[in-house]
Parts: sequence; structure tokens; C-alpha cells
Amino acid sequence: MEDKDKILREIEGAKDLSSLEQIYKKYLGKKGEISLVFRNLKDLTSENRIKIAKEANDLKKLVEEAIKSKENQLKKDGIKNQSKKDKIDVTMPGEKIFFGHIHPLTKVLREISDIFGNMGFEIVDGPEVETEFYNFDALNMPKNHPARDMWDTFWLKENQKLKVSSKNKNFPSEKIQKLLLRTHTSPVQVRFMEKNNPPFRIIAPGRIFRHEATDASHETTFYQTEGLMVDKDITVANFKAVIREFFGRFFSKEVSIRLRPSFFPFTEPSFEVDMSCLVCGGKGCPACSQGGWIEMMGAGMVHPNVFKSVGYDAKKWQGFAFGVGVDRMAMMKYKIGDIRLFNSGDLRFLQQF
Amino acid sequence: MIFSYNFLQSFFKEKLPTPQKLVDFLVAHSFEVEEIKKSGEDWTLDIKVLSSRAHDCFSHLGMAREIGALIGKKIELVKWDPKEDRGAKTANFVGVDIVGKKSCLRYTARMACNVKVGSSPKWIQKRLESCGFRPINNIVDVTNYVMLETGQPLHAFDFDKLSGSSKKKKIIVRYAKNGEKITSLDNKEYKLDASILTIADEKDVLAIAGIKGGKKAEIDKNTKNIVLESANFYSTDIRITSQSLGLKTDSSLRFEHEIDPSLTSFAINRAAQLIQEVAGGEVLTGMVDVYPKKVFQKKIILNLSRLKNILGTEIPKSEAIKILKNLQFEVKDLGKVFEVIAPTFRLDILIEEDLIEEIARIYGYEKVPNVLPQGILIPPKRNEMFFWSDFCRNILKEAGLCEVLNYSFVGEKEKEIFRFGNQALELENPMSQNQKYLRTSLVFNLLKNVKENLKYFEGVKIFEIGKIFRKEKGQIREKRMIAGAFAKIKGTEKKQLFYEAKGVLDSLFSGLGISGVWYDEYRPTPEDSNSFLWNIGKCAEVKTSDGKEFGFLGEISPAILERIGVEYPIVVFDLDSEKIYSFASEEHEYRQTSQHPSAIRDLAILVPQNILVEEVLNKIEIIGGGLVRDVDIFDIYEGEELSGKKSLAFHIIFQAEDRTLKSEEINSAMKKIIQAVEEMGWEIRK
Repeated sequence: MEDKDKILREIEGAKDLSSLEQIYKKYLGKKGEISLVFRNLKDLTSENRIKIAKEANDLKKLVEEAIKSKENQLKKDGIKNQSKKDKIDVTMPGEKIFFGHIHPLTKVLREISDIFGNMGFEIVDGPEVETEFYNFDALNMPKNHPARDMWDTFWLKENQKLKVSSKNKNFPSEKIQKLLLRTHTSPVQVRFMEKNNPPFRIIAPGRIFRHEATDASHETTFYQTEGLMVDKDITVANFKAVIREFFGRFFSKEVSIRLRPSFFPFTEPSFEVDMSCLVCGGKGCPACSQGGWIEMMGAGMVHPNVFKSVGYDAKKWQGFAFGVGVDRMAMMKYKIGDIRLFNSGDLRFLQQF
Repeated sequence: MIFSYNFLQSFFKEKLPTPQKLVDFLVAHSFEVEEIKKSGEDWTLDIKVLSSRAHDCFSHLGMAREIGALIGKKIELVKWDPKEDRGAKTANFVGVDIVGKKSCLRYTARMACNVKVGSSPKWIQKRLESCGFRPINNIVDVTNYVMLETGQPLHAFDFDKLSGSSKKKKIIVRYAKNGEKITSLDNKEYKLDASILTIADEKDVLAIAGIKGGKKAEIDKNTKNIVLESANFYSTDIRITSQSLGLKTDSSLRFEHEIDPSLTSFAINRAAQLIQEVAGGEVLTGMVDVYPKKVFQKKIILNLSRLKNILGTEIPKSEAIKILKNLQFEVKDLGKVFEVIAPTFRLDILIEEDLIEEIARIYGYEKVPNVLPQGILIPPKRNEMFFWSDFCRNILKEAGLCEVLNYSFVGEKEKEIFRFGNQALELENPMSQNQKYLRTSLVFNLLKNVKENLKYFEGVKIFEIGKIFRKEKGQIREKRMIAGAFAKIKGTEKKQLFYEAKGVLDSLFSGLGISGVWYDEYRPTPEDSNSFLWNIGKCAEVKTSDGKEFGFLGEISPAILERIGVEYPIVVFDLDSEKIYSFASEEHEYRQTSQHPSAIRDLAILVPQNILVEEVLNKIEIIGGGLVRDVDIFDIYEGEELSGKKSLAFHIIFQAEDRTLKSEEINSAMKKIIQAVEEMGWEIRK
């Protein structure tokens, strides 16, 4: 039988798991040296048998343990070596996932709708091809009213017979109407009020059209959101609070707002709404041409004639209306310098959103 | 409109605030100011007068009144009636006859004799130039000056050039005869018609009323005796005539916005007095004043509770009275209400709300607090159209498509290529020939987008949700569509593009909870106006389970691609969003996964080319019955050695809800399927 220390040295010297396996076979396998000792026990005298059996048993245990511990060590080393070999370059770029993109105007419209939605405003919709009646007459702008010049209008060659569901006797109930592309979202106010009764709060986002030469800040086609809140006691003070809340949320910034007198035939009083400049906070900087304020929207308290044109009691109901340019909001939010990009279909622009 | 600071100052004894301060006042309480500019010793202010105030503030006097109210100072008018010549009366020389009474609300005339025409003094010239007027001669300059001062347009005729049979000349305010002509002061000829109001003598037209004077009675250096006109014409008529002649003048601008009829006599006296001052001569006694329907001041009741209810804040009574009085309103305090009399020059003040605006803006909106409204808390009703549109956008975005927005317009070229013919609505006043019609489909502009973007990208996947417009049976239809386009320069087989798009649509429908959508081969009817758009063999009608078509998916025809100059195939889908939204459903229920294992068997079938995958799939599913949970196609092979046939390979997944299937059950089902397939004349590949 081999010397105990020699065996242990042999185990210690094993380079890998397969040579360790060989060593196991050599001593503990079926025909292994230690196994043979056990097999030959029967040929020994009983006295010797006990002694040798004990020695062999001890040796077997010792060798087993040594092999087990060597095996563990070799496995550990193996994992270590393997990881070293498998090392990757973590600075290589990740695999690209191709999502699509949502148009920036859609994003801004969603945000506007969310903010007003959270304040209880319902979204309503109206047609883009409008009649002269809804775009002008019902908004207190009869034919040849000079205020119509405030909206450069695309007219259609088609006319349409329109049954005006207006409850006001000032308007003919049926009339051939000139068709146009709506110049603002305000006609939606009228259409909504004809079918619903106060109190309500609505917004009407949508595409509008102006017959205007285009440049970096003018478009023939853009988006507006109309807002209308009517109840028994809606005030200018309410408007100021709601609209400041809106701008503050939209731009994620504390802003102040300022009302200046303005004129719209469908509101009285009417105002222009300015917001404190987002860049300088109102001190004056190049972004606001030193004024500290940026013109954001037109608004006012709904004119009694508009209420009358939809059959409301103008003594009983009052409220505010506003119209805000969505494109301008998007341009300010994303620092876009040219309004024409929105309708360009240029993926180099759109994929940035 | 340009205003001269010095001119404005002339109405006040006290010094006005600096131009910049004045502008700050105006911006906060009245009008926007576009520009302040130093102009010699003067400053000019470009003030954006609101159109509702044009009637009184298109004049320095009106603007001075406004400023007076803002800074709390009264304006001073110099005494400006002329010294009249005792002897002769205007009425002895001039008669006024208004035929067009509907269009002429008042006509005032005065006469001055023996004037000396020359250039006007420097101070008049300077003020005219500050305001953008070119000095002409003292008489014409005075009429322009008084217009700038009072807002009342005036005109001067050379009395001796008027035709007439007697010494007394007649001025007739009448509509033109059809075809009648006039040569204007700037030597342009205008052909008139019976809708156009004119000022005429007994023979000829002297002026287009309220718009432009004519050559015939022009003031020249030899003019001695003049007739001054100060009249009021009906705003709408002036507006229509000015538009139809394409002639906008400083005079028409003011009449279009309506002016106070009371102003004519006031302004004509000022003009006569100035003419006397700068051109000498005698002003004859009295004026001829035809004023059929005198306007009176309006009385309006202002409820103080209403004032508070609209603004949401209380303005002290004394403050409100002061503001109204500064604006030259008369106010009678009746306790809870004011009885307010508006001056005639404030044509815009008609109702209580108008007074509320006056008080509020001068008081200052900055003093109105921010108060969030109180109300019943009801969540807003959901707008289904917006909701589902956004839903679709999100799915399409996740599928890798980029949202675009295009103009609603298409042009003559598109009309020719896409042959939408008379379906399209046409604009009366398009910006250009490229934007003459309203789009009848989203596809046209999407194809353009694809073409442009292929210059920079190897593949394009885009979609748009927007409205299209069509004339259908005399009705105008405005419809919201969802359309998308796919194109690829490089990459997998071209045929694959169709299936990529189809996969996107499948995800869209499944996301929307629409089941049973199927794709039918496109078989255009002869009257189908869109058939030329599609590559017929590669186009499907998208249908609901009950066979209703709600859109198309297909490759654009090579002929169209050639016309628009794209070399790569483009696959497009075009869906009726309103229908889709009506099918969509948010209902979604969890289906428990089966506790019992599934078994998969593969089957490859050789079928003729013209057999649709769907037919084979249906066959397997129907014959397999309840045991077949799913059939997936995993390979399609069309090699030459198959001699015109294609090989379809399926995974057939067997599973039962209630038990583990025995292999005998599966084998017998497979046997039935194979038998049915072979009965169709299809071949099982082994």
C-alpha cells in the first residue's frame, strides 16, 4: 500500500478535474489500491484483519475528504478562470430597440387635455370645414363685420344648405351657407352649447386654417385649443386662476399671468393673456424682447349675444372662453424655431420626440 | 396706426408722461404699441388700435381722450370755430341732394372763398409727415390734418369746376350708373356700378363716396373757391365697395369701422377754421347739413352686483364713477345701479358688459385676484374619438411607426396622379396651385413623406391620423382616417413589407380588442375609383368578421410609384377610424392557462400557388375541432423544384382544458386532418 503522504501530495498536485478523477480511480475505484486492501481482508488472520481494516478505513476517509476538497477548489478556480476568459466590453453600445415616435403637437395636445381634464374639462370636437354661420355669425360677427378681417379665411367653392338649429330668431332657420375652413376652434363652442346646457367646462382642441403667407412663425395650418367654462358665477378672477394653473403645469414652472384689454366680438370683456417669460422670469431678456412677458392667448367673458344665439338666458349664465395656439406652446416647450417643421413630415425632426 | 407724440401733447395743457411711460399705460389698459420711434423733435408711436375702437381712436383726439382717462387728466380743445363772413351763406351757393339715403347718414358742406392755395405751414407738414402723409397743398393738407385730428375724413372740391346750370351748384349723393367711370386724383380710372355710392355734380361723378376723390374738381394752384365735404357713409357699403374696387384709403379705413355721425359738423368747422388760418379767404356763413336721422346718446343701466359678479372682485363705487367720468360718460348713481350715458363717439358701448369692460380695464386686471372656481366635482366625460385615436397612436408607436401630420391640402398634380376628380372640395382662394383642393385621402401626402425621407433613411414607417374631405352624393363628408406607409431600401425580401404592415395592423386590432378581422383579396368593382392606386395582386380589403370592409392594406401600384418618382415598393394601409373606434372595446378578461400539457405536431402541406394560406388554416382548424388550440404557420417555401406549388409548414397545437390528451386522441385527430387535406387534392410532405 502506498504511503499516505504520497497519496495526499498526489491529490494536491492534480491539475484539473479529470486528473483528480484518475487519482480517485487509482485508489478508490473498483480496482483501486485501497479497494483492493478491503477485498483482500478475507485472506488475513482475524487479528491482522481488524488492524488493517481500521487502517484502510482511515485512509479511505482521508483520501475521500482530500479529493472532495480538492475537487471543490478546482471547480472554484475553474469558474474564476472561465469568467476571466468570458469578460465583455461593457462600454459597447446596447442593442437598439426601434420604437416609433409621437408627433410633438400630439404630445402637447395630450398634455393640454390632461391638465384641463384634471380640472374637470371635457374634450369636445367639431368639423374643420365650417359654415359661415358657425365660424362668424353665431359668434357675434354678422356678414361684412369688419372684425371678420381679424381672421384671414380660406373659402370653399361649395355652398351648403344649413339648417341652423339656433334658437335665436335673429338667424334664419334655413339658409344657403358659404363654406370655409374654420379659422378658429370657437365654432365648437356654439355647436356644443346648442346641444348642451350649463353648467359645463369644455376644451376643444383641433386643426385650424388661416389664409396667410407662411414663414418661420406663420402657418396656413395649425392647432388651437378652445376652452369654455360656463356656470352662474364664473368670473374673470376664476379665469386668471385656471389659466395660471394651466401654464404653470404645462411649463412645470411657477408663472405669473397678465391680462391686457383686447377685442373679440364673441367676448366682453376681452383680453390678451401674457405669461411671464420662461427664460428670465419677467425681468426682460432677448427671448421676450426685453418685455418680460410673452403673449399666449386671447380670451374673455362670453358675450351675451353668443349665449343668446344658442338660446341661453344671458342674464343667468356667464363664463369665460379662451383660445390658445398649440403650435406656439410646442415651440416654446421644445425650443422649435420654425412652425413649418410640424407639417414637414421630416423624420429627422419627428424622430426627436 | 401711427400717432405723433407732439400732436397728442397738443390736447393737454400739462406735460404728458414720457413716450415710454405713455406706452406702458396704453399697453396695460388700452392698446398694444408696436413701436416707439424718435422722429426729429417728435416721437411716433405705432399703436395697434383695437378694431372695436377704430371709430374713435383712429384719431389723435380720440387717443388723447383715452390717454386723459388713463392718466386722469382732462383734454383741452382750442376754440376752433371759424370766423364766418357775415355777407354770404354757404346755402346760397351749394345745395346737397342725397339720393342714396341708405348709404349716406349725413352730409355736411361748407364753403370758403378766395383762398390762396400754396404749401401749408411747417407745423402742419411736420405732423402729417410724422404720421406718414405726404404734404400736397394747404387745402388738401388741412383735410388730411383734420382727419388725423378728429377721425373724420374730409374732402375739398374746387367750386368753380363743378358743373351746374345756375349759380348755386348742386352736390348729389347718388349710386353710380352701371359702367360710369371716374378718374381718381392719382390718375387711375375706375369703372363703377350701381352698388357704388358716389358724390356727383349735375353732370359727372366727383368722388367715390368715402373712398377717393376724382380729378374733375381737384384743388389746384389756381383754385379760389372751395366746397368742403364732411359726411358720414354707411360702414358696410364702404367696406363692400372698397373690397370690390380693391381700393383701400385712409378715408375708407375709417368709414369701414363706422364713425360717429355727430362728428361731421365738428370736424368741418375745425377744417374751415384751419383753412382760414393757413390759406386766408372768407368762410361763408353756416353750413349745409343734411342729417335725416340724428343719433342720440345711449342710456345704459349698470348693475353694480353684475360688475362684481363678472370680475370676481369688488371695485369701489367711487373708483368706478371716476373711471366712467374720465372716459366722458355721464353717471347717475342710483344706489345699486348706475344710470350711464355714453357719449355718441363711443359707438362700441351698447350693453352693460361694455361698461364693465371699460371699468375693469382702466381699474387694471392686475388688481383682480386669482380665484379657483368652485363647482360640483364630476369627472369629465371621456371623448371616445380622442381616446381611441390616442390608443391607436400608442400602439402604432410601439410597433415602430412615426407619427406625421400633413397639410389638409393637395394640388393639381395630385388630382392628376390620384384622379380624385370631382370628389374633392376646391378652395375659392388657395394659397397656391399646390394647395388647391382638400385632401380626399391621407395617402397622397404620406407617399410624399416617404419619398422625401428615403433621401435620409433606409427605411420609413410612418402613420397619420387626420381628416379627409369628400363630396358624396351632394353631401360634404368629413372623415377621420388612420393611414400608414412602409418602405425599405435594403433588407429582407420585398414581399415581406406587406406582411410587416399586416403584422402591425394585427397588433393594432388586437390592442383595440377587435377580433375576427380578416383580409380579403382586393377585387375592385369597375366603378371603384381607387383601383389604380393599388398593385392589385398585393392588396387586401380589411374586413370585420361579418364581412364589412373598413379599410385597405396593399402595395402602391408601380405606375403611381413611377409618377411620383419612388423606386422602392411602398406598402400602405388606409383605415376608416370612425368604424374602428366603434368596433374597439376595452373589455378584457383573463383566460386561465390550461393545467394540462399541450402537444405540438408539425405538418407540411404542398398546395397550388393560388391556394390562400387562410383556406388551409381554416381547414385544419375546422377538422381538428375542439382539440386544436392553435395552428401557426412557421414556414412558407416556394422553390423551383416544387413546380409551381408552395410548401406550407404548420405547428398544430393540441390541448384540452379538462384533461391531458392521450396520444391516441391526437393521432386520430391528425389522421382526420391529413385525410381532409388530401381530399382537397393537397399533398402532405413527409
